[in-house]
Amino acid sequence: MEPPAAQSPAPDLKGRKILIVDDDRLNIRILSGILRKQGYELADADSGEKALEVYPKFNPDLVLLDVMMPGINGFEACRTLKQLHGDACAPIVFITAKNESDDVVEGFSAGGVDYLPKPFQPREVLVRIRTHLQNQLFAEQQKLLVEQLSKANAAKNRFLGMAAHDLRNPLASVRGLAEFLRDGVVGQLTPDQLDLIETIHTASQSMLRLVNELLDVATIEAGELKIFPESHNLSDLIQKCVYLANIEAAKKNTHIVFAPPGQTPHPSIDAAKIQQVVDNLLSNAIKYSPPGSHVAVELRANDTHCSFGVKDQGPGIPEGERDKLFKDFGRLSVKPTGGEKSTGLGLAICHKIVEAHHGTIMADNLPGGGCEFSVTLPLNS
Amino acid sequence: MNFKGTILLVDDEAHIRKFVGLILKQLGATNLVEASNGQEAIAIYQRDNPDLVLLDISMPMKDGLTTLKELKAIDPHCVVVMLSSIVTRQSIDEALALGAASYIRKDTPKEEIAQAFNEVIETCFEHE
Repeated sequence: MEPPAAQSPAPDLKGRKILIVDDDRLNIRILSGILRKQGYELADADSGEKALEVYPKFNPDLVLLDVMMPGINGFEACRTLKQLHGDACAPIVFITAKNESDDVVEGFSAGGVDYLPKPFQPREVLVRIRTHLQNQLFAEQQKLLVEQLSKANAAKNRFLGMAAHDLRNPLASVRGLAEFLRDGVVGQLTPDQLDLIETIHTASQSMLRLVNELLDVATIEAGELKIFPESHNLSDLIQKCVYLANIEAAKKNTHIVFAPPGQTPHPSIDAAKIQQVVDNLLSNAIKYSPPGSHVAVELRANDTHCSFGVKDQGPGIPEGERDKLFKDFGRLSVKPTGGEKSTGLGLAICHKIVEAHHGTIMADNLPGGGCEFSVTLPLNS
Repeated sequence: MNFKGTILLVDDEAHIRKFVGLILKQLGATNLVEASNGQEAIAIYQRDNPDLVLLDISMPMKDGLTTLKELKAIDPHCVVVMLSSIVTRQSIDEALALGAASYIRKDTPKEEIAQAFNEVIETCFEHE
């Protein structure tokens, strides 16, 4: 039976560049002959030193490298190429009569991708080279794709940031002007008018929250989250947040209770950012607890760290959804109990803010139901 | 608030001027003039010599920082309070270094803006 003819390279491999390194001119001639027929572009070198010299000029897609040569041997040449060009280095295939198992191991350890024995079988050389060139091509395409995707992602963040920024001020004004109407500053309203204004106010409020969160995500993803830490009374900060959150909580007949500790920790924090974290945890606790719940906030400290926790009476974190908690748009299957909106961005933002403070944020289901979110921050003396 | 001086409110967005203007009026401010860009602000400042300037940071053409520099060159004693939206800390720090008296975030609920404004008045005019 006729052995299958060595397949000619896929059209996209024509013109790929191979550097042949061998001190024996005859070997170079034979290899060149069979490779040229496949449409590859070739260059050669008759020593390891020469190979190092030719490599950057020729910029090959694959190197066929003999091992036993005067001067530096193939293994050394391979190690040097890998060192000089790192991940961008072309795959290196050894082709050698040095065929002991130890040699093969050393060849792969030096960074080679394959090891061909001499005397070689031309068809085998061709299929192996084709495979490595194809892998190399795929890797290049992947790299290009990743580059394009990260550029597209950066463009998306810029767009998101710009859109959110420009939407923010008008929305804040819509909300503020609705407040003026609602509070009767420009005249008393009928109950129907008041109802409409309340709706405008609530809608602009939730849109503003969404836009703020999108802006935060854009800022964080662009690597522009900057923390300006100063020593702050954490107890006061939490108390202020609890006071404001209790106004929202009262609408669901929920109470947030915070008993400040005797000794107040003063961590070095960006107050506005940590306040955002506390606000978010409180608003989640209200959102996911049934009406009439009790939310407890605790603040603890030791010599090196302080931590605050928010315990709710909600359904807890469903099994198997824990890893979604702190991810962008990682909405869980649990639903707000009062029809509130959720973007799935809040906890992802909290996570990034806490991380930027070198702290940790965790969530645990409580034995008696509900869950506790806790944030630990370092205390520097 | 018992501030009876003239306030110049500078912002390129009409809705912000309306919103902040309403807050100021509710606080008892009576002499309020508005400008919608830096150039206009400088012209009005030279004409009316207001006691307090509320100045938006990000405006097209002549931004808040440039306007602040020019106002300070005209009158080193002018009291300028920046109106900021997203807390671009760098711009605020820069404005404070250029001689701005303080800053107020205009994208917060009106009670917070009012409170911030009262605090600014207390700090800037307590000696009067």
